[in-house]
Amino acid sequence: MSSLHDDTSELAQLRSGDEAAFARLVRAHHRALLALARPIVGESEAAEVVQIAWIKAHAALKDFEGRAALRTWLSRIVINEARMMLRQRKREVFLEDMQPQGAGPFVDRFRSDGHWSAPPVNWHADSPDSLLTREELADCLATLLDSLPSNQRALLELRDSDGVPFDEVCNMLGVSASNARVLLHRARSRLFALVDHFEETGEC
Amino acid sequence: MLRCRDVPAEAEVLLDGELGFGRRVALRFHLFMCGNCRRYLSQLRLLLGAVPQMHGQASDEEVDQVLERLHDHSH
Repeated sequence: MSSLHDDTSELAQLRSGDEAAFARLVRAHHRALLALARPIVGESEAAEVVQIAWIKAHAALKDFEGRAALRTWLSRIVINEARMMLRQRKREVFLEDMQPQGAGPFVDRFRSDGHWSAPPVNWHADSPDSLLTREELADCLATLLDSLPSNQRALLELRDSDGVPFDEVCNMLGVSASNARVLLHRARSRLFALVDHFEETGEC
Repeated sequence: MLRCRDVPAEAEVLLDGELGFGRRVALRFHLFMCGNCRRYLSQLRLLLGAVPQMHGQASDEEVDQVLERLHDHSH
């Protein structure tokens, strides 16, 4: 499983050029990096962007200082590669309009006086790891992630999957803080509502 | 006075470390009084902690493909 917390002995092995450690790094982060590239450059170019990012990361690892988590560092490389590819092909960012549209999440879960009408149920999971041990729920979450609008997906990947600070996410994607806040809230709320429904009914 | 309806958005700003002092105090006060919102915040924290792991691991084939291209590139 990937994590935003890096193991120091693993980092030392990576810096020393240990190929097995690099293979473990690829295994842990490759899919998340693809998920980050897809909403920005599109499905067909994402694999190439991430591949080039791996080549650059491999060359730069010996100088990685560990000031950010590895996933965050890798994400920055992917974003730079994605932007470079778009510039070379004179294409705009693939993202959908960054203006939030439509009703927000949770509109039907509160009474007119502002109190919960349908409060969250008590989840069985007591840690992030245990939340994903139920295969059906993990599959449903993966499907939902894939169905999110590209703007919401890119924000969620950078902020919550890759740990990039909020203001840096806004700069990277060229979105105002207020719009980013609304879009991120929508993405997170949909994930929350899915887990809450699963905990209540056993179905997605 | 903060209402439950305001808590989901405020909770996220809190978890992103962007909530100012006054709004933080208002949120803490509301959470002290409201069990439903305390549960919402703790479960949201748990959910966001799981997001980095939602992609799962790459397959052997995917890893080999990356390493092969890397190998080609360095030779």
